[in-house]
Amino acid sequence: MKKIIALLIFCSFMSMTSVFSQAENHISIQYDMSFGTGDLGDYISAGSFRGASVQYRNAVTDNVLVGIDAAWNVFYEKRDYDSYTYGTMTLSGVQYRYQNQVPLLVAADYMFRSDKDFKPYIGLGIGTMYSERNTQMGIWYVEENPWQFAMKPEVGFLYNFSFGSALKLGIKYYTGFGGDLGTQGYFTISTGFAFGF
Amino acid sequence: MKKNIFYLIGIILLMVSCYPDDTMYYEDTDLVYTNYTETFDFAGKGTYAMPDKIVKVTGELAEGQTPEYVQEPYNTQILDKIESNMTALGWTKVNDAEAADLALMPAVWTNTTVVYWYDYWCWYDYYYCGWGYYYPYYTSYTTGTMVMFLVASGDEYIEPFNVWSAAINGLLSGSYDLTRVTQAIDQAFKQSPYLDTK
Repeated sequence: MKKIIALLIFCSFMSMTSVFSQAENHISIQYDMSFGTGDLGDYISAGSFRGASVQYRNAVTDNVLVGIDAAWNVFYEKRDYDSYTYGTMTLSGVQYRYQNQVPLLVAADYMFRSDKDFKPYIGLGIGTMYSERNTQMGIWYVEENPWQFAMKPEVGFLYNFSFGSALKLGIKYYTGFGGDLGTQGYFTISTGFAFGF
Repeated sequence: MKKNIFYLIGIILLMVSCYPDDTMYYEDTDLVYTNYTETFDFAGKGTYAMPDKIVKVTGELAEGQTPEYVQEPYNTQILDKIESNMTALGWTKVNDAEAADLALMPAVWTNTTVVYWYDYWCWYDYYYCGWGYYYPYYTSYTTGTMVMFLVASGDEYIEPFNVWSAAINGLLSGSYDLTRVTQAIDQAFKQSPYLDTK
């Protein structure tokens, strides 16, 4: 029994040490900083420092990985007291603007120099994005929450620094199309760790 | 690998605690709404009548029952603020409502909302009380609303016709905060430049 346990531990250790010696299966958890563009940037000009993303990648060749992406980015801005006119109606007050973006994508990455510790990559994701825009004035609020078709090009790198772990840094551009909200786009800088298995 | 799991848990906890929430003051909840009838010729009018008491809307009023009014000195201070704004826009207040071009009708009301968290079932029977939670947690908030309507009436109208409406709404702090009310009245007239008769 002890031999079997020792063998299992040895196998696990070996599988971890081999991670990132080339493009290998991994899961990454990253902290996201995001900046809205277009309509989203006009609505909330402040950058978002509240966000995270999770990526799973399965290596199909030495250089090509496919997988899924999920992220949650929270944009927020408090607008000073101001007046907003819609036709004959005018509203004045302090406005709190929130926008949550939750993209869920299938993705593919091409990894360069996959046999080195420093591995640059480019990737593309396609899927859906849940947008939730909430505008609060006084005790009232208006909310729009469409699901949109989404795309995400990405560039970044993995840097292998220990057994089974790597630093991952990526720059992404999420775009959501369709729905009443119109096109929603934002840049994201993601930094975190990738864990192989 | 165990260490990796701790990293993951740490990052997730960090995320959960990051939802934005600014400190909010009572005055941050103040909202001023105005609307008007675009076809009405305000510039061609010049006089208005206004009651000397502001009615408090407290529910349905039975026949013969007198309504509640805003207490003094707040009543006079609010009416004076409305009058000074109307005067600045070129309007003249008259005592005879029938002779006036328009009537300005102010009113106020409050609305309290109670929000229950959980464990209210404990009130039914002690048997339903959970571990250590013997009383329901709840909170409540009260909002105050003041409205002003400019109403046109006379032979040219089938019935009194509202040509301008203003609503001021905000969370009440528990004490009469006249500054918030008078500032909101100023704002209501400021964002209604079409009322100017000059």
